[in-house]
Amino acid sequence: MTMVSTPSPAPVAWYLAPPQESAGTSQHGIAGAPAHHGELLQGVFAVDGELRRALVSLAHPGAGTVATFRPQSSPGLSVTDASLTKVRRAAELTMDELRALPTAPAGGVVEIVSNVPRGVGMGSSTADVVATIRAVADYHGAELPPHTVARLAVAAERASDSIMFADQVVLFAHRAGRLLETLGTALPPLIVLGCNTGADGVDTLEHPPAEYDEREVATFGVLRAALRRAVATGDCRLLGRVATASARLNQRFLPKPQLEVLIELCLRHGGSGVQVAHSGTVAGLMFDARSPDVQNAVHASTVELERLGLQVTTVLRTTTDAVRPAVRAR
Amino acid sequence: MTIVVPFPEVTAAEEIPKVIRLSHNLYALSFSLMKLIPARYILRRAVADGRIGADTVIVETTSGTFGLALAMQAAQLRRRLVLVSDPAIDDRLHRRLTDLGAVVERVRGEAAVGGYQQARLDRLAEVQAERPDHFCPQQYSNTDNPRSYALVAEILAEALGQVDCVVGPVGSGGSMCGTVAFLRSLTPDCVAVGVDTHHSVLFGHPDGHRGLRGLGNSLMPQNLDHRTFDSVHWCSDSLAYQATRLLHRRHSLFKGPTSGAAYQVARWWAAANPDAVTVAMLPDDGSRYQDTVYDDGWLRDGGHLRPPLPDEPRPVSDAGDASGQWTSFAWERRTLDDVRAVAR
Ligand SMILES: Cc1ncc(COP(=O)(O)O)c(C=O)c1O
Repeated sequence: MTMVSTPSPAPVAWYLAPPQESAGTSQHGIAGAPAHHGELLQGVFAVDGELRRALVSLAHPGAGTVATFRPQSSPGLSVTDASLTKVRRAAELTMDELRALPTAPAGGVVEIVSNVPRGVGMGSSTADVVATIRAVADYHGAELPPHTVARLAVAAERASDSIMFADQVVLFAHRAGRLLETLGTALPPLIVLGCNTGADGVDTLEHPPAEYDEREVATFGVLRAALRRAVATGDCRLLGRVATASARLNQRFLPKPQLEVLIELCLRHGGSGVQVAHSGTVAGLMFDARSPDVQNAVHASTVELERLGLQVTTVLRTTTDAVRPAVRAR
Repeated sequence: MTIVVPFPEVTAAEEIPKVIRLSHNLYALSFSLMKLIPARYILRRAVADGRIGADTVIVETTSGTFGLALAMQAAQLRRRLVLVSDPAIDDRLHRRLTDLGAVVERVRGEAAVGGYQQARLDRLAEVQAERPDHFCPQQYSNTDNPRSYALVAEILAEALGQVDCVVGPVGSGGSMCGTVAFLRSLTPDCVAVGVDTHHSVLFGHPDGHRGLRGLGNSLMPQNLDHRTFDSVHWCSDSLAYQATRLLHRRHSLFKGPTSGAAYQVARWWAAANPDAVTVAMLPDDGSRYQDTVYDDGWLRDGGHLRPPLPDEPRPVSDAGDASGQWTSFAWERRTLDDVRAVAR
């Protein structure tokens, strides 16, 4: 629980005092959530004989949202930016979820501070929603498990990215709000050069869901298997191949105009492949951060991207753990 | 985390191949009965979408492992199965099929064109006409056959990641074309080496007598997409049998003769490309061949012990050249027509 307070002259320490609304004292919940840079894999997967839409988000530790929740004694919820209707819905649902707690207030105000670009497929909406859910929970003194956050997020925005599982690599059913598989605890060390391939943004929900044929669904199964191995063994090249294949399969639905040019450019500079936002416009050139030549490759690629009229909009580095699970022999 | 769970039925267990390391860059993909993969996939899908009802009779023409796989799956689905076969169907297989409840119809003679295979197709048409409520899996043209091999590509992708070359026997084309197409979504440059036998029409030989069964064909299957293959090898029966025994002696892998042919080509390819991860498809186990390939007397009487295994294939410049013991041709992912047009 994170309680932040402005020092007040009151004689009783703020953390011992019950929640109260008095002049000069404010007590609120605050929490953050990261953005992502599109997906490593997105498609339809056969799980226990059923077909499920699911994705593996590429979390972006360098961008995100911080949400602040301030309680009110009067009922009702509002957001300082009234256009953020999903945020209001997320706060209401979380309040509902935690209604029984003695700390539950009558109402509140949510404030969002975010540095995530909107409408390019970097998960600005999910970052706002998840930060809000966590901030409301934080005020209540509750810590919600990721699958509860996932359920509330999907209820608030109909489809969510998997960033609530930020310390893991997961296959997440983004419309059902269900974790399908934990692929590992971290990605291999990657440097991803991000750029925006489209001028106009995409509304995730307005964009119709891709209708994959049976061949494509079968292919997603193969990509999922390869991704398991790539994460378990820290294989950047294989990870890049999975992401590239997923990006190509998505071209039928939301084409990135220069995808093949980007793939060629990336591979020529020793990169692993290209990942995209499957319901957005950003694309990322993936490089193995352990390769001795990576700084030159990143620099040369940046120059070449600029020559193509594409600015590098963000540079993402995965946070990695030192210990990997052993690979099981078949 | 994954835990071991029971298989729902025997075919689900037996269809899973094992990836086995044979050398630093050569892996065996060892199936007990590869044809369970298309048989199970095709029949279960047809049940799921209503093409096979409670009283539907499954009918197919086969003398080989596809029939056995269908019989195993049909028994689990509690459906009747009629198989149309050659008169020469091996007795042990026949007993196993009938024990599984299949009705085996043997054709009497060969057709004027297309041999026994055409005679079987003619009889199959009659069987279908007699039973209005029937379902025919049609392994040679059903696109579910190649598609079912996504399972194999999944296993290879998880076990090996990048696969640089797949070597496998070709009969219907389903296993090689399906597996390689799925692998290429991940690794577009994955090399496909098809293994056929002389006097099979698959890659342009004139039809003729073939000793080696299980691969090759007298008719052109629709499921064979020639553009899959970077190169094609033709192996004689004797070569396949000797290589089958070598595979057993060296690696304790007890497999059938099409596995031996694939092994021979794959170990040559892997040695010539030491940095390439190479996979040999080994489609069935050796139990059906104990009295033949695994019997030294049978091999000697058939003249199969000579000549000894050559070190390398003889490259041919004409895909229609049906001579030799082990020949190879740079197919280069072309259609059969394109290959023929160049030869002319
Ligand atoms: C033992 C054996 N090997 C290889 C094959 C060839 O496989 P496919 O039909 O998928 O080309 C068959 C096909 O029947 C077979 O029975």
